[in-house]
Amino acid sequence: MTTVSAMSGAPRRRRLALSPFDTAVIVLVCVLLLAAVFGPFFAPDSIYTSDIANSLMPPSAANWFGTDDQGRDVFWRLVAGARTTLLSSFLVVTLYSLIGVTIATVAAAGPRWLDEALMRLTDIGLALPSMIVALGFAAAMGPSLKSAIIAMAITGWPTTARLLRGIMRQTMESQFVAGAQVLGVSRWRLMTKHVLPNSLDVLIVKWAGDIGNTVLVLASLSFIGVGAQPPSPEWGATIAGARGYVSTAWWTVVMPGAAVAITSIAFGLLGDIIQVRRDPSLGGN
Amino acid sequence: MTGLRVYSWFLLRRLGLAALTLWGLASLVFLMVKLMPGDEAQMAAGADASAVQIEAVRERLGLDAPVIMQYLGFLGRILRGDFGTSNVTLQPVLSDLSVVLPSTFELVFFAMVINLTLAIPTGIVAAYRSGRTFDTICRIAAVTLGGMPAFWLALVLQYVLGSLWRVVPISGQASFGMAAPVVTGAPTLDAVVAGNGAAFIDALHHLILPAAVLAILFSTQIFRALRTGLLGVLKSDFIMAVRAKGASSSRMLVRHALPNSLNPVLTLSGTQAGAMIGSAVLVETVFARKGIGAYMFNAVAQKDTFAVLGSVMFIGAVVCIMNLLVDIAQLLVDPRIRSAQFGGSRA
Repeated sequence: MTTVSAMSGAPRRRRLALSPFDTAVIVLVCVLLLAAVFGPFFAPDSIYTSDIANSLMPPSAANWFGTDDQGRDVFWRLVAGARTTLLSSFLVVTLYSLIGVTIATVAAAGPRWLDEALMRLTDIGLALPSMIVALGFAAAMGPSLKSAIIAMAITGWPTTARLLRGIMRQTMESQFVAGAQVLGVSRWRLMTKHVLPNSLDVLIVKWAGDIGNTVLVLASLSFIGVGAQPPSPEWGATIAGARGYVSTAWWTVVMPGAAVAITSIAFGLLGDIIQVRRDPSLGGN
Repeated sequence: MTGLRVYSWFLLRRLGLAALTLWGLASLVFLMVKLMPGDEAQMAAGADASAVQIEAVRERLGLDAPVIMQYLGFLGRILRGDFGTSNVTLQPVLSDLSVVLPSTFELVFFAMVINLTLAIPTGIVAAYRSGRTFDTICRIAAVTLGGMPAFWLALVLQYVLGSLWRVVPISGQASFGMAAPVVTGAPTLDAVVAGNGAAFIDALHHLILPAAVLAILFSTQIFRALRTGLLGVLKSDFIMAVRAKGASSSRMLVRHALPNSLNPVLTLSGTQAGAMIGSAVLVETVFARKGIGAYMFNAVAQKDTFAVLGSVMFIGAVVCIMNLLVDIAQLLVDPRIRSAQFGGSRA
């Protein structure tokens, strides 16, 4: 925040302008979001019914990405699946961010032993392979999209908690916090009204990259069979359902995978763009 | 003298953390078992168990006791190496896994070799010529490949290289009749044991694509870490001094800059080895290879939840041990840890 307002000179501004590539990424993310929100309204009803006579047709003017084994249009199923995939990913990231924020706040504000205990808990979470633990939870709760979302929410928080707790400790050392303490602001109010809001912008940067990663993990869980189940247009489930047709009808597998890859990459790049704009000294990765 | 004390402190801290992590993992798996819908004894005994058998299982697992006693009993069983019993194979999960483990280790080992041979040279050149065409191409490739779903890349490459171009076998671990007798469970190693050159080549031929898929995905991370690290080191003063004394570019890079930026790569590759076992779930199934991943995938498909949870426990434990080994390796490689880690916390 302070860096941006301090650099109001014209040359600095020019440096912060979006490059054509950055613009392309942002447009792509917007298109994906629009597809997720409005796409299903435009999708024909035939994507939920089967039309065997028309199955495994290659891409054509009528079916842009061809049809799958049930004769359903692959393109419109992807559009319908965008909502499932993106909405689930947003939900997962929001849920684990909430858990992470809570743990970080309690750790930063609480007594030393509590901080130590919560950070060791975070260490445990960071040391374990999160996808495998999520797989276990989802399998135990009974394979479904809901199970996968809950499983990813309870395994995703450690990075957020670790990162935010560090930032909050830093913020607590700044002068305005010392000032508030002198004024007699209660510890709880100090944490929630002053330290936390001033530390949260790091999460905004992390958010986009997290979405990209979550899309990948969700598709993987669905592919393994513990996430969304095959009739669902969710992308991972679509690939799992079409697996057997890769050599006869490549479009049924390649297209949904490309959708996962493009979404994941677009959100990852968006994260990089936000990060560079926040701290131009990084210059991208 | 102090050095030794610091070493043992560091080791103790790491051992403590590893023990803590294993305990946390076991607790999570216990929680998973408790989250399973339905009667646990019925589930553990199998679908067609008689009432008497179910009661026997209930007795054995102590399911009538309070939850806290069940939890302690569960931890005790884990400590004794009882990770549950599969409802499909009717074998203890651990003995099922030990049969397929060498195959997964083989895959991960070769993937790691390809991973490092791919990422380290490209990372060095990209950092040295940062901003040039080669660097740009590598960075675009890293971002693109890093965002691809593992199972999808596996399916596509299997289709293109296996069925269209036929340069590699589509699936399996050995051609029909070519496999060496099973000794270790890892086909390449078995061929070496049998002294069968043709079988070795054949096993390698089957291994190359699955290993390459894992390697490509993971090498993007190593590439990024090495490139970023090297860029930082190349800006530092001592590199200017090395330049000033007249060292050649290659000597400067390999002898001076590289050793100072390999540490994050070492840590990362250790974490990756663990993560690769997880990703093997996705790759092994696509290529119909034996292994922990394929075992887990089948267990999910057959609703054999105890086998899934036992595998989660097992993979988690392997990852913990891997992390510990990396920490120890780091201690041996990087003398700076002595000062940085003493009394300090992890960054």
